[in-house]
Amino acid sequence: MRYGRGPGRLVKWLLDPFALVGVLLILVTVLLDRPGAAPGLSLACAVVPFQLVVMTVLNAMGAVVARRSILLNLDFDRVLIPLSSACTEFAAFGASAVLLAGMMAVYGVAPTLALLWLPAVLAVTAAFAVGCAYAAALFGLWFPELRSLGLSMVRALFFLAPGIVAIEDIPSPADDWVKLNPLSGLFEAFRSIVLDGTAPAAWSLLVPLGAAALLLALAFPVFRRDQAHFAKVLG
Amino acid sequence: MSDAAIVAEGLGVRFLFDRHRRPVTPALARLRRRGEERWGLRDVGFRAGPGEGIALVGPSGAGKTTLLRAIAGILPADRGVLRVGGRVTTLLSIDAGLLSPLTGAENAELLGVLDGRTVRAARAQAGAVRRATGLGEEFGRPVASWSQGMRARLGLALAEQGAPAILLLDEVHEALDHEFRAVLEEHARALLAAGGIIVAAGHDHPMLERICERGLLLRDGAIAADGSFAAVREAYVG
Repeated sequence: MRYGRGPGRLVKWLLDPFALVGVLLILVTVLLDRPGAAPGLSLACAVVPFQLVVMTVLNAMGAVVARRSILLNLDFDRVLIPLSSACTEFAAFGASAVLLAGMMAVYGVAPTLALLWLPAVLAVTAAFAVGCAYAAALFGLWFPELRSLGLSMVRALFFLAPGIVAIEDIPSPADDWVKLNPLSGLFEAFRSIVLDGTAPAAWSLLVPLGAAALLLALAFPVFRRDQAHFAKVLG
Repeated sequence: MSDAAIVAEGLGVRFLFDRHRRPVTPALARLRRRGEERWGLRDVGFRAGPGEGIALVGPSGAGKTTLLRAIAGILPADRGVLRVGGRVTTLLSIDAGLLSPLTGAENAELLGVLDGRTVRAARAQAGAVRRATGLGEEFGRPVASWSQGMRARLGLALAEQGAPAILLLDEVHEALDHEFRAVLEEHARALLAAGGIIVAAGHDHPMLERICERGLLLRDGAIAADGSFAAVREAYVG
């Protein structure tokens, strides 16, 4: 639906991540004059997982209200709603694989055996997105007037992570603090396997995985208990 | 279809509000400063068996929609007991649970899956739903461009799938053309003849009387009268 129904929707789907990286690429290489090594690919390694997370949060915050007509007419397992938000965005996220491959070709970065870590990195990214989805779905339903603020806070996490600059360019001790941001781990894990050709550091997978577990432990039981009463708020 | 049954004993459905009178869920009520609480249904008790058509009448805000939603499983019983036997289908709004950006076929598949079918079964069923609606080419177009009557036709066609035992109607029939009303009445009578249960709420008493022999008068969330439709209507409108 997001990309329309015509034949151009595939093109729109593929161009979406390119457009986002393009904006940041201009910012880093032209305005800030800090090109670094393969800046486009380094940025893509951050933008790709970030897009999944931020779009999942955006989708999930409105997911319950968007299904109002179904919720008020049909009894079904509403626990699936945030999961469907994450799955939808994961499908859109597929276009990002083309972006990563394109950037590798542009900068002449050859694929290595480290790419075998990709399923694990994707699984951690997906787990974090699902955790965010349950928390965001409740937040969006409970505090609809604060949705914009919530989205801004998630976007701020990008700039509190090594998104535009690599983590080795962040001075100590700030680099240690930055590692507590789950997005930092995701960004660095993608950079390790795509850009550096090395296995991701343990912290880069464990921190976002821990954050995912924490979010699910907090939000999922509340969502499951509260979902039976959603119609009272929507009706 | 003889397993169709509805049993309500001391049924209560509670709505919570914050101090700004916004409705809140129980978990949110713990986070926000609580306002008033209101019982949408209070101590509701009745039984319905196979072949029974029950009309819910009463003023707006009396609890008719809340009772239908509770029977459908859309709202939980906060007090008392509600047991429903048999497959329940609903037409509780003109939109009938349809999503406007999706086509009729896509809505049929989505609602089929949410109703417990596999994707393959829901997809296979979409053809039968299309024929039942009689909408032809429109079935492949987004529902956003459809009239209310067309949406209701799809809603009823979806409700007919999977042999429902209980059909719940909430004023949907009152916003539709005479042709569709006739279709709906025919469907309702067939369901009753097969041992199903109809529970219909609305203000179109002549139509309700044609499909429901029994009436429940609701006032302030409680049952004020229960009996033949004629007697209940008399108690309501005098």
